[in-house]
Amino acid sequence: MIARLALGFCWCMLALVLIFLFAPILIVVAVSFTESPIFAFPPTGFSLRWYGAIRNADGLIAAAWLSAQIALMATATSLVLGTLAAIAVVRRMVPAGEAVAAFMASPVMIPGLVLGIAMLQAARAFGLTDAYSTLLMAHVVVTMPFVMRTVLASLSLFNFDMVDAARTLGCSYPMALWRVLVPGILPGFMSGALFAFIASFDNYPVSIFLVNVRTKTLPIQLLNQVEISPDPTVAAVATLLILATVAALIACDRLVGLRRMASI
Amino acid sequence: MSLSAGLAEAVSEARVDPDYLRIEKVSKRFGSTTVLSDLDLAVGRGEFVSLLGPSGCGKTTLLRIVAGMLAPERGQVAVGGRNLTRVQTHRRNIGVVFQNYALFPHLTVAENIAFGLRAQRLPAALIGERVKEALAMVRLEDFADRRILALSGGQQQRVAVARATVVKPALLLLDEPFSSLDRKLRETMQIELRHLLRDLDITSIFVTHDQDEALVMSDRIAVMNAGRIEHLDTPARVYARPNSLFVMEFVGQSTRLGGTAAGGEHGSMAIDTGQGRLRAPGSFMAGSAVVLGIRPEAIELGEGPGDAFNTVRARLRDIVFFGARTMLYFEPANPADRILVDLARLPGGLAPGATVTLRWPVAETLVFPAP
Amino acid sequence: MIATPATPAAAPTKERRPFDPKALIVLPGIAYMALVFLIPVLRLVGDSLRGAEGFSLSGYDRVLGDPYYVQVILNSLQLGLVTTLGTLLLGYPAAMALSRAKGQWQVLLVALIFLPLTVSIIVKTFGLTIMMRRDGIVNWLLVNLYVIDRPIRLVFTEFALYFGMINVFLPLMILPLYSVMRMIDPRLGEAAASLGAGPARTFFRVTLPLTAPGIVAGVSLVFSIAVAAYVTPGLLIGDRFMTMSQVMAKAYLNLRDFQLGASMAMIMLAIALIVIFLATYLARMGVARDPPR
Ligand SMILES: Nc1ncnc2c1ncn2[C@@H]1O[C@H](COP(=O)(O)OP(=O)(O)OP(=O)(O)O)[C@@H](O)[C@H]1O
Ligand SMILES: [Mg+2]
Repeated sequence: MIARLALGFCWCMLALVLIFLFAPILIVVAVSFTESPIFAFPPTGFSLRWYGAIRNADGLIAAAWLSAQIALMATATSLVLGTLAAIAVVRRMVPAGEAVAAFMASPVMIPGLVLGIAMLQAARAFGLTDAYSTLLMAHVVVTMPFVMRTVLASLSLFNFDMVDAARTLGCSYPMALWRVLVPGILPGFMSGALFAFIASFDNYPVSIFLVNVRTKTLPIQLLNQVEISPDPTVAAVATLLILATVAALIACDRLVGLRRMASI
Repeated sequence: MSLSAGLAEAVSEARVDPDYLRIEKVSKRFGSTTVLSDLDLAVGRGEFVSLLGPSGCGKTTLLRIVAGMLAPERGQVAVGGRNLTRVQTHRRNIGVVFQNYALFPHLTVAENIAFGLRAQRLPAALIGERVKEALAMVRLEDFADRRILALSGGQQQRVAVARATVVKPALLLLDEPFSSLDRKLRETMQIELRHLLRDLDITSIFVTHDQDEALVMSDRIAVMNAGRIEHLDTPARVYARPNSLFVMEFVGQSTRLGGTAAGGEHGSMAIDTGQGRLRAPGSFMAGSAVVLGIRPEAIELGEGPGDAFNTVRARLRDIVFFGARTMLYFEPANPADRILVDLARLPGGLAPGATVTLRWPVAETLVFPAP
Repeated sequence: MIATPATPAAAPTKERRPFDPKALIVLPGIAYMALVFLIPVLRLVGDSLRGAEGFSLSGYDRVLGDPYYVQVILNSLQLGLVTTLGTLLLGYPAAMALSRAKGQWQVLLVALIFLPLTVSIIVKTFGLTIMMRRDGIVNWLLVNLYVIDRPIRLVFTEFALYFGMINVFLPLMILPLYSVMRMIDPRLGEAAASLGAGPARTFFRVTLPLTAPGIVAGVSLVFSIAVAAYVTPGLLIGDRFMTMSQVMAKAYLNLRDFQLGASMAMIMLAIALIVIFLATYLARMGVARDPPR
């Protein structure tokens, strides 16, 4: 009886937690469709004017474009570097493979601000003044742990005899990798890439030290906007971002299945 | 050994081309460990040869070298007269059934079987036909569209065989294909596989560390030890006339008595053992340490009728019943020795503790130099 | 999302391997991370140990000897602690319910818990500031529930800070808890009850110890991230509640006081690493005590 009550209490808590978690997100979405420039609750009226206002807002589109570029290139770079290293570790080509893997995944344990400061100082010391390339280099470090973890996990579940099997069936080595290894680790690849992209695209604490007036990523620009002139334009941008995330998740689900991705 | 009925036929075929697969002086080392050293092996066309040896003796390594997945330091491999040493795996046309099957989980059963045919870029209609045949051959017609992970172990095994044979390989290599099946299923599959390969007339090398499996299935058995083939012959001869103490110990069970050669003449000699002086065919220098081996079926209870038999007395320790046969274990005088007798029928009144007289033909006494 | 790095599960072979040129594929990644990650972090350690002339601990002296900065460190620890406790109290029962959900429901609910993590922290915090306005939903709720009779100011209060921090980090607590809880056989609780254990006893003697690995993972993850949080405290409370992150950012972006910033960064790094290593140690000990069945 009491056990029943306890479980009932747990279910209520779960419901409350879900409402609590989604409240700020749904509020932002709701606010983006209001008419008034102040955020009253309950919201009044319906309009799309804030979406139109994005175009006139200062630097938001340029920042989004920059963030997308950086996130894409950083993810691609760490996918290549991380996958090569992960193969060497999983196939035990190198001594102390576990230490190598732990090292490549360790930036996630370092507070973002510390990482950003370290890179700022290093960039200054080495005379790197170009914000774009500094950001890109730093974001490869930010994304590497996500790639490393997921690719390692899926590679270590992969049976490399399958590559040999494909070769005995008439596939050349590169062909065998393409036909067997790639489909086998694609779910891990996709979820690693997705996490990495999100981590880079949303990154604030590392970027804040590396941007300059002309080169600003979206989180920096958004926070600026929120602090200086908070109006529903920010909410409109945020809503579009949420939509894009959901679209990406759905696309991944169609491609490889979220269940397979989540199991990695 | 009923499956060896086709032996005569296979051997005569092998005579047509006894060197269809030729492995010559192949050596392979990993770091400082030498796994294969100057290994030679020849397999005739259409033959089914088992590669038998203890775990870690290099069986898989040899298969990988034959298939081209691993390069030997020295030596060469040729199939049908064609030297394959510099040929890449995918151009060797050698089928492999892997120990864990290595089926492709992202493909269906039919797609797995079609994989090799697609790699050859055959026309789709032909591929469909060949896949259908292969599915029928392994009795998996109803499973064509199943995912691999939704199959039982025995079904996966059959898919692996179908996938490897559908491309009509010049040579088929099987690496312990039954090791993850339970015993009942394994026995069925042994017979099934043997028939299948005979029908397809594919030359095969079959790796196993299960000696019964090797004895039942093979035309010939190659026993591997310390990086070489120690004995290559028909199952019956490997069992009855092992080349070395290792082969005798590895294949089947036997009585084992350590002793010292005490001289002799005309190819027969005397040997002093813990059970007294015995005789054996062969000639060793007097004083050299030897080991005698006797297969358990060769030994009978009771005094020998004459010169042609060795006779010993020993105390019976255990009687172990195996259904069709009964195994008797005796206490040897020397604890390093071992005496066992295999009887089809247990005489009444025999119980542990009794002292019994045993005899066996001198001609069936095996002698090896002591290790 | 758990703080222990994944390790390959391939079968270990003891033999020494000869050098394989293919092993060079590990080099680009290692070299990159050494150059762009390791060297900068080591240089930062060096910065924190450098005074006007050469080696000096004066940076740490300035931080640890100044009551203001000590208060800042305490503030950060308090922030981490309250956030961790709050997420644990809310997340534990929620994760328990999650682990008992059936089939497809469980998948859906876990996805729902996970989804907020993919939304930018800035967006969520922005939503929280809107909720927290005098005419916002929180005040509206409190008034309608008769907790207060007039809307009050919430933004820039500690209430707003913790409300927001717990909101942002709650999924990071629930997911590790859930991943441990779903492995537990629910019949264990029933078995304990059938042996005459009361519900409180069952919880403290059976459920809590079994879920301890999840608690360790969730607590260490949330604490090590919350202690270093920057965006959410900045927007929800600002300069009224100075944390180490705030001081560090100021030191570099406004004051150009690199020694101060580097020392603060090192202290923060030390706190985060201590928590993570402690958690790893605790997890190892747990594994050693009762090996997985
Ligand atoms: N890639 C490798 N690097 C180093 N040593 C290896 C490698 N592959 C195999 N070995 C070693 O070579 C020896 C032979 O291995 P192999 O796999 O050929 O044995 P096996 O006869 O197939 O054994 P099993 O019956 O257990 O499968 C073993 O000692 C093994 O540890
Ligand atoms: Mg093997």
